[in-house]
Amino acid sequence: MHTLPQQLANGLFLGSMYGLIAIGYTMVYGIVQLINFAHGEIYMTGAFGALAIYTNLPSSLSIWAALPLMLIGGALVSVVIAVGAERLAYRPLRNAPRLAPLITAIGLSLALQQAVFNWYPDAKSGKRFPQLPGGPFHIGSVDVQSGDLFLLGAAVICMLALGIFVRSSRTGRAMQATAQDPDTAKLMGVDTNRIIIIAFAIGGFFAAVAGLASGLKYGQIQYNMGFQAGLKAFTAAVLGGIGNIYGAMLGGLVLGIAEACATAYIANVPGMEQFGGGAWAQVWAFVLLIVVLLVRPQGLLGERVADRA
Amino acid sequence: MTDLPIAAAEEAAAATAGHSTRRTAPFIPLPVTAARATTLAGAVITTASTFMSWTYTTDFPGDLTVSGYPGGLQVMTLIGALLTGVVALGTFGLKGLRWLNPARTNNGVLLLALATLGTTWYTVIDIAAKLGGFANLDPGGIVAFIGALVLFAGALALPLDRHPEEAADTEYYELGWFEQVTPVVRGYAWLREARLHHSELRVPDTRKLNPWLQRLVIVVVYALGLKILTFGLATDYSDIFIGYLIVVAIGVWGLSASGLIKQFQQLTQHNKRFAGTIGVITAIAYPFAQNNELWANLGVYVLIVATVALGLNIVVGLTGLLDLGYVAFLGVGAYTAALVSGSPFSIWSGTQFPFWAAALAGMIAACVFGVLIGAPTLRLRGDYLAIVTLGFGEIFRIVVRNLDGVSGPKVTNGPNGIAQIPDLSIFGYNLGDTHSVGSFTLGRFANYYLLMLVITVIVVLVFTRAADSRIGRSWIAIREDETAATAMGINGFRVKLVAFALGASLAGLAGTVFAHVTNSVVPDPYQFSGPVPPNSAFLLAAVVLGGMGTVSGPILGAALLYVIPQKLGFLSKYELFAFGIALILIMRFRPEGIIPNRRRQLEFHEDDAPAPGNRPMGDDTVPATTAGA
Repeated sequence: MHTLPQQLANGLFLGSMYGLIAIGYTMVYGIVQLINFAHGEIYMTGAFGALAIYTNLPSSLSIWAALPLMLIGGALVSVVIAVGAERLAYRPLRNAPRLAPLITAIGLSLALQQAVFNWYPDAKSGKRFPQLPGGPFHIGSVDVQSGDLFLLGAAVICMLALGIFVRSSRTGRAMQATAQDPDTAKLMGVDTNRIIIIAFAIGGFFAAVAGLASGLKYGQIQYNMGFQAGLKAFTAAVLGGIGNIYGAMLGGLVLGIAEACATAYIANVPGMEQFGGGAWAQVWAFVLLIVVLLVRPQGLLGERVADRA
Repeated sequence: MTDLPIAAAEEAAAATAGHSTRRTAPFIPLPVTAARATTLAGAVITTASTFMSWTYTTDFPGDLTVSGYPGGLQVMTLIGALLTGVVALGTFGLKGLRWLNPARTNNGVLLLALATLGTTWYTVIDIAAKLGGFANLDPGGIVAFIGALVLFAGALALPLDRHPEEAADTEYYELGWFEQVTPVVRGYAWLREARLHHSELRVPDTRKLNPWLQRLVIVVVYALGLKILTFGLATDYSDIFIGYLIVVAIGVWGLSASGLIKQFQQLTQHNKRFAGTIGVITAIAYPFAQNNELWANLGVYVLIVATVALGLNIVVGLTGLLDLGYVAFLGVGAYTAALVSGSPFSIWSGTQFPFWAAALAGMIAACVFGVLIGAPTLRLRGDYLAIVTLGFGEIFRIVVRNLDGVSGPKVTNGPNGIAQIPDLSIFGYNLGDTHSVGSFTLGRFANYYLLMLVITVIVVLVFTRAADSRIGRSWIAIREDETAATAMGINGFRVKLVAFALGASLAGLAGTVFAHVTNSVVPDPYQFSGPVPPNSAFLLAAVVLGGMGTVSGPILGAALLYVIPQKLGFLSKYELFAFGIALILIMRFRPEGIIPNRRRQLEFHEDDAPAPGNRPMGDDTVPATTAGA
């Protein structure tokens, strides 16, 4: 199991999940310079939305038929929450001092997490998530679960679609313009409020896809899964250069692979025998973030931007 | 506008002083005399009702069945009604009571009446809900119900000072697509217009009073504050505590509307040292005022969270850096102190530092971590700091959990933590033992309370001295506009790093005491959000709720957030949810917190500010009061 290709594959799957969530951070940050702290929770609600659909479907339905419905349900929940948060919580504070929306975001994150904890039936501990049948597949020396394949496929499709959307559609170009300079974009006739909503919605949708995929991958979802995932995804966004959507995906992959390799190989480094294993994975991800901030604060694909504070 | 003579005189005075308040028609159109009579009648009826029986059975918390004297929740109604009546009389010009309403405004009367109405109706409805129907009310309860309504209606009929009409700033208060729904817009405009406005009201100068009288007033107010606090803590039932909260919260708001609190703030401003000393003495008196280990326990934890919140306030409130892993620095201090405490579970179980050395070690360790985290991130945009500190807070917990000898080197004993930390002994005074001072006994928690109080005072001094110094002004400049501050020659990175390291070391200092109070350190409390108070979300909520950049704000915020869930046990399940919602609502409607910092309030409410020049400038620091702790 501890072969290099296996670790790279593990990192790839983990990284595509981080990347999917990181898209939400990076798009919102690129346009309104806000760390949408609640984004991890939006990912979590997406997973719970999908699960809620699944539990209410007749059990005779096969998982393949249920999957699109679950995706729609989860996406609906996530998008509604993301857009609602923008309308009701963030937009009133758009011209307030920077600390204000950030604190609002933390409040929102706490409230969402606790709302699921208190009011989703039996969500106090982990909830079982349905699994995709089939697998594990053996590709060379690498073992792959079917949930991993779904995750990878979803990430690739989402990224391609987003890339085409941003590059070639009218709205996508308006989005780029808003990210570059919101005031000028407004003067050129771009409805920046609409663009911001769309950014939140896309972020929410991607988070829901990631939520569904992580449920399928791990077979379990938890009310507090958004916190860790959000932190990692934000790290990925910073790693890739915040504000850059390709950077978010690349940052996710780098982070995922680094984490997988650190888990497997750190223990082989002389003097570090005790710092390997899953228990230290988080720590190495964090160390990576600090190192990137020290060496290349603009991230892998980011450009150095002036402080717009 | 038919109005009373004093109001007219005040209006003239206000006009010359350039005030922006406007006395407007009341909500209920009534002649002024009738309105006053109604208010007073309501106060009398409500007062009288508290001497009657409100319900048949003693099943309801607090005995409300007795005629002749008030009990339980009736006391709350009584206090509310009496206070409203007296303040109303003062407002109406009764000689000898005018000092109760220095601002000469009816707004205070209305708010006090609201407090009375709130607690009375809460009681009555609670009786009906608990015992099953309004049939369980005695005539006294019905009298109280009606009396409070009459009181409130009378107060609504008084002419009020309201916020002047202004064009709504559509940028800040954007309604979004609600804008297309006329009733929503109209209702919103009405709410905006109806906002009572009192912070600008002028009150007489207190410096004219005899200096000794001034000091006497300060002493009496602090003593009264302590009495009110201990009364609230001593309530046996959560029902009574809710009634108490209603009266105190809206009552204090009402008193601040009447200008009384502003006047008291003037007093403490002019007698800063005296007020500070009395504040500390009041805080020292707390464990003596109620010889009960449970309350001393509450007190020591409130002081710990308040001190840590104050340290966080240097970082968040003064410098504007969002630190989301602040509790980790408390943890660093606590773990350092535990390692050198001589506990048998520490890897250095032989070494036992004296307290001063342990405190220093905790501070230095926290400071080192602060610099390690701050140095790479403080050069970057502020948002990175938020996420890096959040990560650090999380990593701290994971690392401490892993250093158990199995997953990593053995340092902290992992999830089991370091237990059996011995009690402190300072100059031969063992804080774990019970000591008697005169006729009072000081238990373990009372001892720690007093020690913690010393540390709180130190932190308050550090905070105020730093905030008033050159570096404090640099912090505020950075918070307001980093680019401009840097252009003015402030070394932004260095100044921010100092703030960050200072905040971290203060948390470390509090952590050293925290380790000894709890007897053991475990990784679990040091997380971002959790059911046990010293977590980063709790601390942030305390600072934001109390008021960023002030001394008394975080202390008050921490005390409220700690005590209220303790007293209302049934809330604890939804505590974190309520924190989240509270953070959102505070940021939306009162971002400056309960106790606003003058400069910050201006920053947040630019759209409300009158023309420049009308504001009393300066006056930035709120007087240091520890009585709220």
